[in-house]
Amino acid sequence: MAHAPGLSAVIVDDHPAVRAGVAQWLTTGTPPIRVAASGDDVRVAWTGEGATADVVILDLHLGGPAPAVNDLRRLTEAGRRVVVYSMRAADDIALQCLELGALSYLTKAEGAAHLQEAAAAAASGRAFTPPSLAGALAGDRSTGRPSLSARETEVLIEWFQSESKDFVGQRLGISPRTVNTHLEHIRIKYAMSGREAPTKAALLARAIQDGLVRVDDL
Amino acid sequence: MTGEPRAADDGSGVPAAGEKRPAAAGEPRAAGDHVHATMRIVLVCATGVLQLGLSLHPVLVQDCRHRWLAVAAFAALAGVTAVCCGWVLRRRPLPGALVAAGTAVVLAASFCAAVALGPERRFGPADWSFGLVGWHLLLLLLDRVRVLVTVLAAHLAASMGMFLSAGVPDRSALGAAGAAAFAAVNVQLAVIVITRVLQQQTREAAPATAERDHLLTKVLTAQQWEQHQHSAFAGQLGSTLPLLAGLADGELDPRDPDTQRRCALAATQLRRLFAENDEVPDPLVHEVTACVDTAERRGVDVSFAVSGAAVPVPAQVRRELTGPVIAALSAARSRARVSVLRTDEEVRVAVVADAAADVAAAATARVRVEYGVYGDHLRLEAGWRTRQG
Repeated sequence: MAHAPGLSAVIVDDHPAVRAGVAQWLTTGTPPIRVAASGDDVRVAWTGEGATADVVILDLHLGGPAPAVNDLRRLTEAGRRVVVYSMRAADDIALQCLELGALSYLTKAEGAAHLQEAAAAAASGRAFTPPSLAGALAGDRSTGRPSLSARETEVLIEWFQSESKDFVGQRLGISPRTVNTHLEHIRIKYAMSGREAPTKAALLARAIQDGLVRVDDL
Repeated sequence: MTGEPRAADDGSGVPAAGEKRPAAAGEPRAAGDHVHATMRIVLVCATGVLQLGLSLHPVLVQDCRHRWLAVAAFAALAGVTAVCCGWVLRRRPLPGALVAAGTAVVLAASFCAAVALGPERRFGPADWSFGLVGWHLLLLLLDRVRVLVTVLAAHLAASMGMFLSAGVPDRSALGAAGAAAFAAVNVQLAVIVITRVLQQQTREAAPATAERDHLLTKVLTAQQWEQHQHSAFAGQLGSTLPLLAGLADGELDPRDPDTQRRCALAATQLRRLFAENDEVPDPLVHEVTACVDTAERRGVDVSFAVSGAAVPVPAQVRRELTGPVIAALSAARSRARVSVLRTDEEVRVAVVADAAADVAAAATARVRVEYGVYGDHLRLEAGWRTRQG
């Protein structure tokens, strides 16, 4: 991850314990991410310091039974970088969040390391694919899904199965860095195949900047 | 003799329809055929005994007009019985052509016998043929009751005609002849009635028998299934019984890490076995969860993830898929990752665990198993292709 000392985040979750825990993880991660604001309502992401935070950590289930997809849509339409942090490990919801422009989707069963990495990646405009999301992508049977290469599918499955990029690299005889590149490529394919969203355009721009794709590929 | 050609016509006309019967045989029809076959055997015996026992003597010793004609008639009747034996003893229905020809021969023989004896002695004590011919007709036409009754009536009428044509007899002779004819015809009618009654009863008994057989089959199947369950359960207990025996005998030390690993394996196997027959929407995930649960109770930190929509997986395949999970989880020291992934083509169950122990997990015909050690991590994956071939 690129070193960005001034990164900040806003946490939207209806459980104070979760807010406190996430704040602790983010501030102690590498790089550390300052928590600009946190609250149990999505308004904290639109007002005060929260409105300018680099990344929004959004709980999809804010009290109500229905997931807060509309809040997610408004945030991504405003160009905000969102990491969805959810209790639910449902593939369809995860894929829907990606479609709406979330840069990452994590389940609360996934530990600190994945959340720290996802927040740092999102803060710098990059997508992050945690293992559960890799599983959702590997098991995606929807008709509109992008076609992945055999290697990309392999990487998704191995990453889902082992939760360790070192292990995936060892298994497939590639470096953990190459594993990352494959995962980013997959996310770019998804961004290109889905509906337009400002965050997706930003994601593609970032990918071109990072040399992952060329303008001709788009 | 007006009866003969008519009888022959009827005999050849009906069998064509009669031939079709076995083809359309249902349960009651088969039961009816069974009665007919048995009755024919009785009739062929009765006919043979009567012909040889009661008729042979009069044919040979009695004075008559044309001895050769009587002997020929007797031989023809015996011949018909003999030919019928070929089918009757094998419990086969008589072919239509045989019935038609046999009926014609029998009626002709009856006519010849009457002529040889002299028509005026028809129905008298010397008449050996009238009653006997009735038995032959019964034998030939038992399963064609309408034709049988028609032919019997024609035979009676023709015989009466012959008897009366010889001159008007006195009242006592007429009475004796009538009584004899009545007695002979009555026996044949009785046989017809008995056959009908037996057939009726067999038809009623057939469904009951079938039901009983069906129940018997069900009971046997259930018993076999139960036995199979017993042996399958015992088989799936796997290493549990020798392990328990070893612990009880003091041969195994509970402090030994290997024994502890074997205990963990047995516990996971049992837990999965208990989960196997639960009624749940996603049995595979339910069974894997049971394995994960046992490992967590043992203090292993397990991260478990499921992806892809549920697909139906046969119980035996589930057993083969969860086998490696059990083996790897029971070998795990402190951490394990368990995942179930269901894609378009495949169901994949994988375990990555910090385990150095060698784990036995064999692939089967349907389930491929991949096993590998990477540093101090062990990876086991079982895959089943949902679309075989």
